[in-house]
Amino acid sequence: MIFHDAPISQAELSEQQLEVRSSWPTGAEVNFDESVQFHRELDSSLNMAAALTAADAQGAVLVQPRAGVALLSEHIRLLTYLQDHCDLLPTTIDAYTRQNRYQEAEKGIARSEESGHSLLNGFPAVNHGVAACRSVVEALSKPVQIRHGTPDARLLAEITLAAGFTSFEGGGISYNIPYTKDVPLQRSLRNWQYVDRLVGLYEAAGVRINREPFGPLSGTLVPPCISHAVAVIEGLLALQQGVRSITLGYGQAGSYVQDVAAMHALRELGHEYFTEAGFTDYELTTVFHQWMGGFPESEARAFGVIAWGAAVAAMGRATKVIVKTPHEAMGIPTMEANRQGLEATRQVINMLSDQPPLDAPEVQAEADRIKSEVRAVMTRVAELGSGSLLDGTVRAFEAGVIDVPFAPSRHNRGKLLPVRDLNGAVRIYEPGNVPVPPEVMEYHRACIAERAKHEDRPPCFQMVIDDIYAVSKGNLVGRPK
Amino acid sequence: MRPCVIVLGVIGSDCHAVGNKILEAFFSDRGFTVVNLGVMVSQDEFIDAAIETGASAVLVSSLYGHGEIDCAGFRDRCIERGIGDIVLYVGGNLVIGKREPAEIQQLYHSMGFDRVFGPDADLDSVAEFLAADCAAKAVPAR
Repeated sequence: MIFHDAPISQAELSEQQLEVRSSWPTGAEVNFDESVQFHRELDSSLNMAAALTAADAQGAVLVQPRAGVALLSEHIRLLTYLQDHCDLLPTTIDAYTRQNRYQEAEKGIARSEESGHSLLNGFPAVNHGVAACRSVVEALSKPVQIRHGTPDARLLAEITLAAGFTSFEGGGISYNIPYTKDVPLQRSLRNWQYVDRLVGLYEAAGVRINREPFGPLSGTLVPPCISHAVAVIEGLLALQQGVRSITLGYGQAGSYVQDVAAMHALRELGHEYFTEAGFTDYELTTVFHQWMGGFPESEARAFGVIAWGAAVAAMGRATKVIVKTPHEAMGIPTMEANRQGLEATRQVINMLSDQPPLDAPEVQAEADRIKSEVRAVMTRVAELGSGSLLDGTVRAFEAGVIDVPFAPSRHNRGKLLPVRDLNGAVRIYEPGNVPVPPEVMEYHRACIAERAKHEDRPPCFQMVIDDIYAVSKGNLVGRPK
Repeated sequence: MRPCVIVLGVIGSDCHAVGNKILEAFFSDRGFTVVNLGVMVSQDEFIDAAIETGASAVLVSSLYGHGEIDCAGFRDRCIERGIGDIVLYVGGNLVIGKREPAEIQQLYHSMGFDRVFGPDADLDSVAEFLAADCAAKAVPAR
């Protein structure tokens, strides 16, 4: 399948850049040429793309937390504390900035200063501006990535890439559908083409910036074929705009057979579609997110969930793993809790580092099913797009060909209903309009019927709700009371 | 008896949708008439919906940590808009960092919320409180 989406022209980009950079005062600090120079002078150990590629070649699994607070000095203190316990650093952006509500972020900064603790759930990078963000990068000895959830991240990208951050998470689907209520997909996809084009400009100037589509989506019983289709599409859209370092992501579903299969399939599908589209000079790595659903309140139990995620990341040979904390059930962690999550993860990763990745016939069979589902979805996207991946994606969501369960967006059909099978794998109970191949759909139905029989109840919404709460209550599969 | 109308939503820039969908299903099942505004709802949107539907209660969720900013002055705003005696509940991960439940309760009571729930709240007992609180407010003042 051939897509002909063109890179945004230099003239159109320049015009948009003027508008974007003038939408908040700190935008005026951005100077591309000077920023390229800054990146070139950065020590190569601070480049995320280089770190990921090197780890992937060695088969190492890198460890990365999430972290961000309102105030600059506090944020530097937090990351400095964490950097001795991880390989890669984040800067997680607050939820007001994610919605471009910079006035409210400003209020959050002021109130955090007054109260002595952060009232924002992340670092408001746009409000702080280029010079302040640069002081974050310069204070640290590990590569730093921007992690957020922003449908229009153009200004955030301008400022943070100018500041020396070397990786930028997100995409036009993955930072819209799970993160917003009513942002048209066409708009977020176009705004993310701008971000990818900007990364492409750095690439052309010899500065490699890593891009990472957000894999877990709603983080709630997402069938791997859905998140993989989104990952492949966002990877292709990024390559089209000149990005060359791509990390495809996946959120732990809970079944080790399914999760390891999904990690194998993700890498294979990425290469399959990227090379088919004619790209050869790219670097592809993967990221595994530890359990994104509800966590147990008990910190001891939470460590169990964290360690299990670490084990599956290693068994699935992820290039990196995004780590949860024992405070997950109650929200934003203290920095000590964050460090504990990293240490627990590191311990397990180290113990598995000499062991071969899990390879079993069941894993291969599951990977084959995932690949055939993703191919069916991609074929439909191509048909709907008539040569345009972006148009095909918009129409695929309108038609429910791609359908993310439990997403807040109005632009997602929400007809697909997942549920776990007897072995804990996420199966599709109601496919909606997702073109799951008939033989695979038959398999899903058979697995679900087996569970229903075992629990002596028909598959129902209560079964799905039981699954959603199961992990926080101490199990994977939500059995009836 | 007429079913009790409740307005449900996730406040501020918060996009946590899963629990919201489950609450809608749960309270509907328990016989409440649920007006679900979904995620990313402002104070005024909650209040508009409460006025338009003659709701007895507003149930505010916040999961992402900005609740302290988003919920400030909620009761005062209800008073300004003429529904000062409406039942106000709040629940979720209501502050940033680990703080004592009693401290969080006090913080939100001081903003005018009648009841404050953590992320592990038992929904059956919430439904019982809600039915009782709505019935109490329905008795005309003497």
